Amino acid sequence: MDLQVNGPKVFFELPFDLPDSAIFTMKNLITQTTVSIAAVTVILIALALIVSRKITKRPGKLQVVAEKLVSMLYGLVEDTMGKHNLKFAPYIGTIFLSSIIGTLIGTTQLFRSTTADLSVTAAWAIVTTGMVWYNNIKNFGFGTWLKGFTEPIVVMTPMNIVSEIANPVSMAFRHFGNVAGGSVLTALIYGALSAASSLLFSWLPGALSQIPFLAAGIPAFLSIYFDLFSGFVQALVFSLLTMIYVGGACPPPEELPVKKNEKQ
Amino acid sequence: MGLLSMLDKFENFVGVNFWTMIFAWINLLILYLFLKKLLFKPLKNMIDSRQKEIDDMYSEAESSRKGAEALKSEYEEKISRAGEESEQILRTALRRAQLKEEEILREANEKASRTLERAEEQIAQEKKRAVNDIKNEVSSLAIDIAAAVIGRDVSESEHEELINEFIENIGEEK
Repeated sequence: MDLQVNGPKVFFELPFDLPDSAIFTMKNLITQTTVSIAAVTVILIALALIVSRKITKRPGKLQVVAEKLVSMLYGLVEDTMGKHNLKFAPYIGTIFLSSIIGTLIGTTQLFRSTTADLSVTAAWAIVTTGMVWYNNIKNFGFGTWLKGFTEPIVVMTPMNIVSEIANPVSMAFRHFGNVAGGSVLTALIYGALSAASSLLFSWLPGALSQIPFLAAGIPAFLSIYFDLFSGFVQALVFSLLTMIYVGGACPPPEELPVKKNEKQ
Repeated sequence: MGLLSMLDKFENFVGVNFWTMIFAWINLLILYLFLKKLLFKPLKNMIDSRQKEIDDMYSEAESSRKGAEALKSEYEEKISRAGEESEQILRTALRRAQLKEEEILREANEKASRTLERAEEQIAQEKKRAVNDIKNEVSSLAIDIAAAVIGRDVSESEHEELINEFIENIGEEK
């Protein structure tokens, strides 16, 4: 049995001399993931267009569901980040929808999950860290932010810097690992079941012995866990971590340093 | 995928592609702007405006209910006060009627007594006049009689004397 675990397929390679190593590449312009990301964007924009086509005071069924989800999103953001940070809700909603649709798009077998590519989850995690740093500097000032690394004692500085970098790295790897691992597991089980059924049904005449009967139902149930559930949980975890980190950098207005309040 | 897939090359399972990252960022930005403008903002506004409408409706209903209750208690008070008022009106009217009655009676009495007085005065006057008349008549009569009795004329002065004497006698006899 031949089972391969590959990264995304490369569709278009740049013909220049660019860095192309195992961990970091600049050579592969278009890959399977690129196509998937575009598909996710198209799907989400289409969904948004369908929902927003007719927003009325007396909602239809679709609007009721959409409103429920939106108010859940705003409620979650308010609970996690506070009422003063509701402006982040659209971004959190975007990252959540991108993540869950990006994971589920892999189950169609036409596309590869966007979140099964470390490049995508790393890009999102870098955005989160960027938001945290930007808001920290904006709210507390550059000096106070830098000084924060030396607390509680100066000796802790290297630790603090490592943990600051570890945050986005762990976020990116957690999301990527869960989705990619799930797809690997599904592929393994699929292969194993095919092998088992070809062993069991080898006595059947001709081409019939080649049909993997066992692989027909079981992977579907496993997919409910590895793709649907895990995809949902990972999208939630990623959004929650973003909320917590960014919310920590945006305390309520009354807790901001006095200097900032005087300016207003 | 068909046209481009002639390259039989896979990326590493764990690796970062610079262009994929750029593409992820661009798509995240596009999705963020698009979903914010098209999905989150309008729906949130709609939810908020509906919530506000409901809140307004409830507070309006509450305030109008309070107003109605105040009006009701006011009316109840007014009605209970109206009973008292009517009683009082009746009482004052009765008292006024009594006063009026007394006044009328007093006036009537006064009038009657005044009339009586006047009548008495008149009677007295009449009596005086009558006495005078009688006096005159009696005097002339007395002269005549005296003349007849005496058979001779009496002088004026004697007359006077006689008459006065006579009258006085009559007055005493009376």
